[in-house]
Amino acid sequence: MMWHVLIVVGMVVCAIQAIRVQRLLISALWLAGCSALVALLVYLLGAPEIAVIELSVGAGLVTVLFVFAINIAGEESLVVQKFIPAPLAWLLVALSVFLLGWLTLPGLSAAAGSLAQPDFTRVLWVDRQMDMMLQTVLIFSGTLGMIGLLSDSKKPHPPKEKSA
Amino acid sequence: MAAFLIAYTIGVVWLGAVLLMVVGDQRPRLQHALAVASALAAAAGGVAMLFYAGAGATLALPVGGVFGDFTFVADGLGVFLAAVATVVGSLAVIFSVDYMQGEHQLGRYYALVLFFIGAMVGLVLTSSLLLMFVFWEITALCSYALISFYNDDPKAVAGGMKALIITQLGGIGLLAGALLLYTYQHNYDIQVFLANPGVLPAQVLPWVAFGCLAAAAAKSAQFPFQTWLPDAMEAPTPISALIHAATMVNAGVYLLVRFYPAFAEVPGWREAVVLVGMISALMAAVMALVANDLKRVLAYSTVSQLGYMVFAVGAGGIYASQFHLLSHAVFKALLFLSAGAVIHAVGTRDMRQMGALGKQMPLVRSVFVIGALALMGIPILNGFWSKELVLEAGLAFGEEHGMLWAYGLMLVGAGVTALYTARTIWMVFFGSNRGHLHGHDAGPAMRVALIPLALGTLTTWLLADPFLRLLETVPSFHGLLGEVESGWELLLEVVKAPATLLALAVIGLGVAAWQWREKLRGLEFTLRGPARAAEASFGFEAINRTIVSRVQAGAEALRATQTGLLNWNLLGLVTGLVIVLLYLVLGW
Amino acid sequence: MTFSISGVILIAVLALLAVGIYGLLAVRNLIKVIVALQILAKGAVLALVLAGYVRGEANLGQSMALTVIVADTIVAVVGMALAVQIRRHVGTLDIQALTTLRR
Repeated sequence: MMWHVLIVVGMVVCAIQAIRVQRLLISALWLAGCSALVALLVYLLGAPEIAVIELSVGAGLVTVLFVFAINIAGEESLVVQKFIPAPLAWLLVALSVFLLGWLTLPGLSAAAGSLAQPDFTRVLWVDRQMDMMLQTVLIFSGTLGMIGLLSDSKKPHPPKEKSA
Repeated sequence: MAAFLIAYTIGVVWLGAVLLMVVGDQRPRLQHALAVASALAAAAGGVAMLFYAGAGATLALPVGGVFGDFTFVADGLGVFLAAVATVVGSLAVIFSVDYMQGEHQLGRYYALVLFFIGAMVGLVLTSSLLLMFVFWEITALCSYALISFYNDDPKAVAGGMKALIITQLGGIGLLAGALLLYTYQHNYDIQVFLANPGVLPAQVLPWVAFGCLAAAAAKSAQFPFQTWLPDAMEAPTPISALIHAATMVNAGVYLLVRFYPAFAEVPGWREAVVLVGMISALMAAVMALVANDLKRVLAYSTVSQLGYMVFAVGAGGIYASQFHLLSHAVFKALLFLSAGAVIHAVGTRDMRQMGALGKQMPLVRSVFVIGALALMGIPILNGFWSKELVLEAGLAFGEEHGMLWAYGLMLVGAGVTALYTARTIWMVFFGSNRGHLHGHDAGPAMRVALIPLALGTLTTWLLADPFLRLLETVPSFHGLLGEVESGWELLLEVVKAPATLLALAVIGLGVAAWQWREKLRGLEFTLRGPARAAEASFGFEAINRTIVSRVQAGAEALRATQTGLLNWNLLGLVTGLVIVLLYLVLGW
Repeated sequence: MTFSISGVILIAVLALLAVGIYGLLAVRNLIKVIVALQILAKGAVLALVLAGYVRGEANLGQSMALTVIVADTIVAVVGMALAVQIRRHVGTLDIQALTTLRR
């Protein structure tokens, strides 16, 4: 329980720092730390597969992508002038989060799950087959989108004639 | 076997669509060949399915628990429409080889046509209402994309948008019906619903029934949604033949027929269907009489004939309406394709500039006249038998429910049909060559498409008996098809009934009115007012324009909230979230 | 407030969501926007796993969390490709300058 509290505190601190710092590279590093702590927390909650995935994807892949993008895009120093006044933003955020918590609280003491739960493979590939298919489509389209965005070639369009 | 055929028919045509997009636009001959091969393969599958039809012929694809299985049932109604879709589809694709010779972006065209054919087959064969909605929307999408195929032409784009908006409004009704069904029945299966319509409580069933009627009216361009079909004539003519005459517009009639056993008991539903059909039939026939664009006349004619089919469904004549659907698909596709040959040859759609083209295009003239005679309902051709069956069903309904005036008006509609058809034939193929146009006769691919359709127009009525057998395989139609032993009895009834003579007399009167048009000039003069109203489509265009401009004005006014700034958008999002949460917590 | 593990994790979820939403409301650099989105997504993953833990059906919660991770990673990937291209063509990553869609 102690560990949980410590990890949670660390996670929140990392997240806040990620938003606050000015330099983008440092921000990405704080995000990586946050991811690692989330992975640890998730493992302690009894979801080891997701912990591994979160660690490798969130703390690994996404961080590398961030570093790559920041290096290409370059750092930029901007005037820190917010469009929305900070008090308003804080008020809305606090209000929404408080209400969400209020709504969720009764759910925490709900009855624990039913019988023996099916193992992860079965849940993923049999019960949620449609999900898996959609995720595959999503991954393909995301990759194609990225390739399309990052390519610089311009294909000449065939001349369009008005038809008879 | 039927399960394999279902998967094969849809799969081969969708595979063809994907291959066509991959092949690219640099090799048009390969594209033409691939499209024709794919469409013919699907047609073979569609025709083969006719022999395996039965209520037990199902295909079920399990996709996890949430949506239920994706089921397909190859019963008589479904395979009949699937066969029509694939066969007419392949003839339209063959016709396109000549019509679209030298056009650009053929890949997009053929891929969309093939995609459409597959979606249409799926729509009529599926027994999951959610899947039917998905296929419904796919056909609407393909229809829009094909109407706007010439996307440099603003009229084509406007026509496509109009078609999309109006048919989508109907689609919303269908989705609402599907969700209501799921709420009470806990699955989307249509067959289960038809076996037990009582699963929907008595307050909910009328909503679903009238919602389906609205969806069908929007899709089949019936009153009051008929304005999109004439503007959809900007599409290339093979598309008009396939989508807007023989297939997609039949989806609405299919919906009504499929659900007729469940909705027939809803009070006022049958009368509403009869009224919608009758008003569409008569109104469109009058508008066809004053139109000068060849394809518009055919479009109005389609609306009118669909009105006959819808009228027959409401009157309880299931067999009559489906038989008329079969005849109409064949002769209307024939008319559209031959009109396409004419338009391709002379380069204009305006009939006032045509005339005496019969001498230059003898084959096209002959097939067009055959199709036109079927449309009028002249004996021996397939249109005669089916139209008489429709009118008989209307007469029986009128006598039972005290709505004989509806039957009378449909009879008048038949006369007006004869009149405008005679006018069209004369203005295009006979008389004097007003515009001094030169045309060549149809090319080889066009002939290959036109001749089977003409033969079909002469002969499909012979299929009355097998057709009856096919429809009898649908379990929910038990008792609705009349107590006859064979289809020949129905045809014999048509020959013997006195109502047939009455109808023939009215049709003859219509043709005679055209012959004596010089003598009837006085009558024409007095009807000038209604004629101008008909040209302005009885005010429906004005209604459409007002709705569109009001919506656009409202949207422009709301534009001030669109700053394009991420922070601002998120502010709106979070504020909305807070409001929703407050509502949930405080229970307002 | 309960002092059980699930209570603590719920506070963690809410805190992450709060930081994420505040970030989206307050930052100006496009890449920071993606960072804020990632934080939001981690909150969502944590919430789903928490739900599975509370109900005893950890595997169901995991499968949903997997979907969220996949989706948000794709968002981050495409977002960064967009950011790189925007930097090249428009010249700046300031989101207040990127409002041409308005016109």
